Amino acid sequence: MSASFAPECNEVKERYDTCFLKWYSEKFIRGTAKEDECEPLFQKYKTCLTKALKDKGIESMIEEARADNKENDVEFMKPSSGAKCKYNSQEDPRSQLISV
Amino acid sequence: MKIFSARHEYNYSWEEVSTNNWRKYCPWNDKAEHVIGVDVLSRSLDKSTGILRTERLITCKQALPSWLKSFFGSNDTSLVYEVSYVNPREKSVTMCSQNLTWSELLSVQETVRYTAGNSPGKTNFDQTAKIIALCGGWQKIKNSIEEATVDRFSKNAAKGREGFERVLAISREAFAEQCRQQKLVA
Repeated sequence: MSASFAPECNEVKERYDTCFLKWYSEKFIRGTAKEDECEPLFQKYKTCLTKALKDKGIESMIEEARADNKENDVEFMKPSSGAKCKYNSQEDPRSQLISV
Repeated sequence: MKIFSARHEYNYSWEEVSTNNWRKYCPWNDKAEHVIGVDVLSRSLDKSTGILRTERLITCKQALPSWLKSFFGSNDTSLVYEVSYVNPREKSVTMCSQNLTWSELLSVQETVRYTAGNSPGKTNFDQTAKIIALCGGWQKIKNSIEEATVDRFSKNAAKGREGFERVLAISREAFAEQCRQQKLVA
């Protein structure tokens, strides 16, 4: 799996990722998952990550993005969903539309 | 504003694609050196719908064209916030991403969807990105910034697909090998 942006979290992240991938492929995808079995390992990884995010001052940026994503949560947590992500902010009415 | 869009059909089942999507940026992918970190910020399973929601922070490191450095500075590390929704009943993965870095100058909003194909063993991939330069000033400069971003985006997208094909192939081979080993033991 991939590395963490915080090298000190790599070891615990790897243990979590391995657990998650096994759970995802063997239970979640087959529809037999009752709960996220890797949650305890995730909490350990999260403790490390949260500290690193704080130290690097990234937390507030993430909070803003999270708020901006609210509409997508509403749309894609529905049993049957649309096809495109939407955001409230940062529309410029003067912009021109060019398709590539 | 510029729109980038791409479509592709993978010759792998939705189950294989959606599983390997989590290790798209593992060492098996030799085409994504610009992705240096992938962190899970949160993950939750909605018991009523069965939908898995995951927030990730993607860390990229890629040199900028020198003329762009005057706008963006010399920092070549950028962060992307991604929220994904896996619906195992509908067989869909939807990933919504936006840039965290340089967000006062540029907005890049991406949607990626993996859905089960029309025939078994196939998966559809749909990607759209909306790129908007936000800095005030001349339209000409904004246009150049958007064009450079679309160019970079489409190159990364092409490499991303190539790299992911490799991850899927190696994964299938590793799985087959594991089955052979188990048969030998049994």
